[in-house]
Amino acid sequence: MVVESTPGFETQDLLINVGPQHPSTHGVFRMVLEVDGEIVKDLVPHIGYLHRGAEKLCENNDFRQGVGYMDRTEYLASHNAELSYVMAVEALAELEVPERAQWIRMILCELNRLSSHFMFLGAFGVDVGVFGTPFIYAWREREAIIDLFEEISGDRMMYAYFRAGGLAWEVPGNFEERVREVLVSTRQGMKDFDNLLTRNEIFLARTKNVGIISAEDAVELGMSGPTLRASGVSLDIRKAEPYMYYDQIDFDVPVGTNGDVFDRYLVRLKEMEQSVHIIEQCLARLDDGPIMPERMPRMLRLPEDQEIYVRTEAPRGEYGIYLVSKGGNKPWRLKVRSACLSNLQALKKMSVGQYVADAIIILGSIDIVLSEVDR
Amino acid sequence: MSNGIYGIEIAWLDAVIRLHIIVGLMTVVVMGLIYVERKILARFQQRLGPTRTGPAGLLQSVADGLKLVGKEDLRPRNADPWTFELAPYMVFIPVFLGFVIVPFAFGMQVRILELGLIYFVATSSLGIIGWVMAGWGSDNRYAMIGGMRAAAQGISYELPLVLSLISVAMVSESYNLNDIVLSQSTYPNLLWQPLVLVIFIIAGLAELNRTPFDIPVGESEVVGGPFVEYSGIRWSFFFLAEYAALFIMGLIFAAVFMGGWAWPLGEELGRGWQILLVTIKTSLFIFLVFWIRASVPRLRIDQLMSFSWKILLPLAFLQVLINGAVLVYEAPLWILTITGMLGIVVLVRLIERAVRPQPVTNESTVSIGNESVS
Amino acid sequence: MRGIVKSLATTMSTFIRGPVTRGYPSKHRELPERDRAFPLLLWDKDIDEPFCTGCHACERACPVECMTVLMKDNPSHESQDGNSKRRKIVDEFWIDYGRCMRCNICVEVCNFEAIAMNNTWSGHETSVYDRSDLVMDLPQLMAQSKSDEIQEWVAD
Repeated sequence: MVVESTPGFETQDLLINVGPQHPSTHGVFRMVLEVDGEIVKDLVPHIGYLHRGAEKLCENNDFRQGVGYMDRTEYLASHNAELSYVMAVEALAELEVPERAQWIRMILCELNRLSSHFMFLGAFGVDVGVFGTPFIYAWREREAIIDLFEEISGDRMMYAYFRAGGLAWEVPGNFEERVREVLVSTRQGMKDFDNLLTRNEIFLARTKNVGIISAEDAVELGMSGPTLRASGVSLDIRKAEPYMYYDQIDFDVPVGTNGDVFDRYLVRLKEMEQSVHIIEQCLARLDDGPIMPERMPRMLRLPEDQEIYVRTEAPRGEYGIYLVSKGGNKPWRLKVRSACLSNLQALKKMSVGQYVADAIIILGSIDIVLSEVDR
Repeated sequence: MSNGIYGIEIAWLDAVIRLHIIVGLMTVVVMGLIYVERKILARFQQRLGPTRTGPAGLLQSVADGLKLVGKEDLRPRNADPWTFELAPYMVFIPVFLGFVIVPFAFGMQVRILELGLIYFVATSSLGIIGWVMAGWGSDNRYAMIGGMRAAAQGISYELPLVLSLISVAMVSESYNLNDIVLSQSTYPNLLWQPLVLVIFIIAGLAELNRTPFDIPVGESEVVGGPFVEYSGIRWSFFFLAEYAALFIMGLIFAAVFMGGWAWPLGEELGRGWQILLVTIKTSLFIFLVFWIRASVPRLRIDQLMSFSWKILLPLAFLQVLINGAVLVYEAPLWILTITGMLGIVVLVRLIERAVRPQPVTNESTVSIGNESVS
Repeated sequence: MRGIVKSLATTMSTFIRGPVTRGYPSKHRELPERDRAFPLLLWDKDIDEPFCTGCHACERACPVECMTVLMKDNPSHESQDGNSKRRKIVDEFWIDYGRCMRCNICVEVCNFEAIAMNNTWSGHETSVYDRSDLVMDLPQLMAQSKSDEIQEWVAD
């Protein structure tokens, strides 16, 4: 907008509203951009469009019912979300999870990390501007993984498969064989992405040195997951505070150096290779055995006046559950520490001074799930 | 000048008939192109594409057209009525004017103009006004950004396009498309002008607002740009113009670089064969455009501008100079082939140098391993 | 430029590999036996009555409270000269599919294996024009089991 006031011209910044209905806000995120020409001067994010009160709902539901709500806080990586919840309950109830259940949980969580990262690659590729192709590549591989989840748990997104103590039921007989099949197609999908994007000059031009955030800023903003590691901080909860059997597994943590959009893309792609590696090791260690503890009460009750914070490495970063129990079969207070919400704090810092088109891919590179941000 | 088709001698009547044929042809071709694009893109993306309307989805474009005609013609309350409503025609008419000179076969064009290429460039650049009008008149900020981007992009890429066509005209020693085609009956121009071919394709993609230059309409940023407030039949005019422009660009590509109907089978062919040849060559270009659309991301506006002004334009100028020198001193034409090839190498190097990131920290590659938490 | 050529080669390779999608409404994927759509009630074919005794276990366990169950005395119980061992039986049963979150808990808590998740496509294609049509009553919940349309899967 050009406004004539004095004998010359005076310019005024333009406000653009992006979202909640916009093709690349990954759900119902809204940001108001203040732009000077094509340069972003200021950015105001607005969240809360998807708030359902999942934490409060969990306070009114017992520990089996709560799992279903956890699925819905992180619908792209439901297994990982369930895991934090059941681990918190198990820790308070002092339940010993059988070995087989732990291995299966690890396999499913890593598979879910793969499917979630595929979703990121697809959506990110579309944000950068390839017409749909990455999305379909991603969907192709995600479909294979989700089909496997459906064969195991019966549902494609809201699995409700982990239970405090173990698993809801046994995996089907051909589980190992099917996982190996999925890994083959996953490798092909990763290769396709690598060929399609990683070395493409236009992709490099768009993503390199865009949306840089330094390691210090990233740590101060409480970022976690691949978004943090792209800035050069090698913090992976699977390594730093191993849970389940991650301490018995050999894997690397890919770390970026530049902290730009390209690093966030590449770290995720490398992380997927590591996930495949982890799943293979888990499959080798998988043994027969029970999937639930032998002495499992019909209705799980937690001891009085206990609290715990459990965190796991979900695909988007630290997914933490803070659980306060005052006895009974329901949590007295449940708080979800969402990685997406913390990562989103960095959006303004990354975007100001960049182009409008960059603000879009920076948002894409954070890989938010709005249901986790708003809960 | 020809004596007209079917023995009609009156020049204007002849022209009117030919124009009507073109309008019909164009509509059918655009509908076909939309279907083909959807099918080809789907195939690139391992999808099925349209399947539900008619056998193999053949009637998809008809269904789309009916839907668009049936839709309400909305105009935002704050939109500038005249600008808003005239913009689709301002985009469409220049594209349509371009059809006057394109040759489908020997003698099969509306008019043979001596300055055909100049005419084509002049008309096609008029369309930018329509884009700006649509962007400004919609009273929508996405549309305005899109319209401004379209103007910047259209003007910048006009120049490499014009220079590339001038280079070819120099080699063919004519601006007349008919003569250009005839001059290529033994060797097509792309043999002498490989660099110009690359520049033409890049600038052509930018003129057509196609990926990787679909910045004005960038679906993921400005949500369709200037089109964002249009619906129904007005929106379909934009679409019609877009695909008609693609078709013309393909025809120009076939005529200017691939020898149109004259190469490789000589100019004595039957008319059916000539049309077939032109169709194949045009389809080649169009397929390439679709292929690129399925494969590459979108550039950013500043990168787009600097690419045009800093890389494409100097190279195109250089080619014009070399062409001039070779033609004035009557040097053998294969020198042009070699310089053209060298030019392509330079272009590739320049692109790769341009995307190499200026290091911000010490190194910009991802290292795998465990570093301590800082 | 070489990277762009590589991208073009990648898309060409998928062009040759062929489609991976299905023409969904006309072609259905085979569902795994564990597939969970919405809960259904099962029919005891030996005695010609529902397995469900209307014990409210599922109603109490449902996290979203989408079920309503009413119980009655079984008219065909042995004491009434019938051939059934069920003293009580379900009188009315409503499930609001619009609320159901398909968590499978009702199936797990059922002591009579009287409820199961629909694992056929009919359970997924339940679009209606009115939300109230999603509230299923007893005959609707029974229909598929009566006509042998589902092969239920119940976790052991």
